Amino acid sequence: MDQLELLKKDWKKQEADLPTLSYDELSKLIHKKSSSIVKWIFILSLLEFVIPHVIYLFMDNDKVNAEVDNLGLHNFNLIASILFYSVVLVFIYLFYKNYRTISANSNPKVLMQNIIKTRKTVKYYIWFMLTMIPIISIIIFYRAFNSPDFLEQIPEGTNIVSIWVLAIILILILVGIFWLFYRLIYGILLNRLKENYNELVSNGNGNL
Amino acid sequence: MTKELEHNFVTDLEKHQNIVHKVCRLYTYDQDAHNDLFQEISIQLWRAYPKFRGEAKFSTWMYRVAINTAITLYRKSKRTIQTQDFDTVLYKVESTAYDDTEEEQLKIMYKAIKLLSDIDKALIFLYLEDKNYKEIAETMGISEVNARVKMNRVKSKLQKILNP
Repeated sequence: MDQLELLKKDWKKQEADLPTLSYDELSKLIHKKSSSIVKWIFILSLLEFVIPHVIYLFMDNDKVNAEVDNLGLHNFNLIASILFYSVVLVFIYLFYKNYRTISANSNPKVLMQNIIKTRKTVKYYIWFMLTMIPIISIIIFYRAFNSPDFLEQIPEGTNIVSIWVLAIILILILVGIFWLFYRLIYGILLNRLKENYNELVSNGNGNL
Repeated sequence: MTKELEHNFVTDLEKHQNIVHKVCRLYTYDQDAHNDLFQEISIQLWRAYPKFRGEAKFSTWMYRVAINTAITLYRKSKRTIQTQDFDTVLYKVESTAYDDTEEEQLKIMYKAIKLLSDIDKALIFLYLEDKNYKEIAETMGISEVNARVKMNRVKSKLQKILNP
C-alpha cells in the first residue's frame, strides 16, 4: 500500500517537531496526581466510609446509644457493627487491590480482565450496601414496634399491619435514595469503564 | 521508592519521551489534551516502573503502558468523532480525495486514522513505528499470527476509508 508507506515516511519526519521536556519538567510531572477512573473508585469508597464517621463525631452519641440499649439492641448493634465494618474494610482493600493491579502495565487482554473484575467488585459492594439497609431497618423497626413505649403511644385499635406497610414503604424509599446515590457516583465511573471495555472488544478485537 | 530508582526512571523517560508524545499525538486533538495524556502516561509509567524487571525492552514496555493508558485509564472527553456516521466520513474523504498533492493525501490519511477504533489506532501506530510482528504481538499481548491478521484487517479498513 503506497499511501501507507508515504504516511510512514511523513510520520518519521514529524518526529522532529515533537515537544521535548527537560529532566526537571519530567521529574515534576510524575509527582502530579493521576486522573484514572479506577483510582477514583478507590478514593470514593474511602470517602464514603470516612464522611459518615466524621458526621457521627458531631452527633449526640450517648442519646443514640441509650435509645439502642432501650430497644434491647445493644448486642445486635455490636455484632452488626463488627460484621459491617469488617465487610466494608474488605471491600476497601479490594478496591485498593484493583487500583494497584489495573495499572497500564499489563497487556490489553489482562487489562480487560481487570476491568471486569473491578466492575464486579463495585457491583458486589453496591449490592451489599443495598441489602444491609433493609435488613438492619427491619430489625430496628421490629424491635421498636414491640417495645412497651411504642405500644403505649399508639392509639388504641391501630392496625399493626398498616404500621408495617408504612415502615416497608419508608425502607423502600431509603433503599431507592441510596440506589440513586450509588448509580450516580459509581454509575458514571462504571459506565466509563464499560465504554473502555466495549471499545477493547469491538471492531473485531473480541478475541484479543 | 528510592531516589536512585526515580533518577533512573526519569532518565529513561527523558530518553524515550518521544514515544509518549507520539501516542499523545495520535490519541488527542489539542495541545491541552496532549499535555494531560502525557502526564497521565508518565504517572502510570512511574507507578508501574518498580514492577518493570526488564523482561521486555524498556521501549516495548513503554509502548504498551502508553497505549493502554491512552485507551483505558485515561478518558476525559468523549471523542465525538468516533460515533460519527461512517457514510459522512466517506463523503468527507471522498470530496477531497481528488486533490492529488502529497500533502493533501497525508492530511486525509491522518484524518482517516483518527477515525479508527482505539485498538486499531494502536496497531497502525506500531506499524508506523516500524515494529515487526513479534514486537507488535508482545506489546499488544496477542500472538504473532493474530497480530498479522489484525494488522491486515486494519490496513484494509484504512484502504476502504481512503479509496471508497
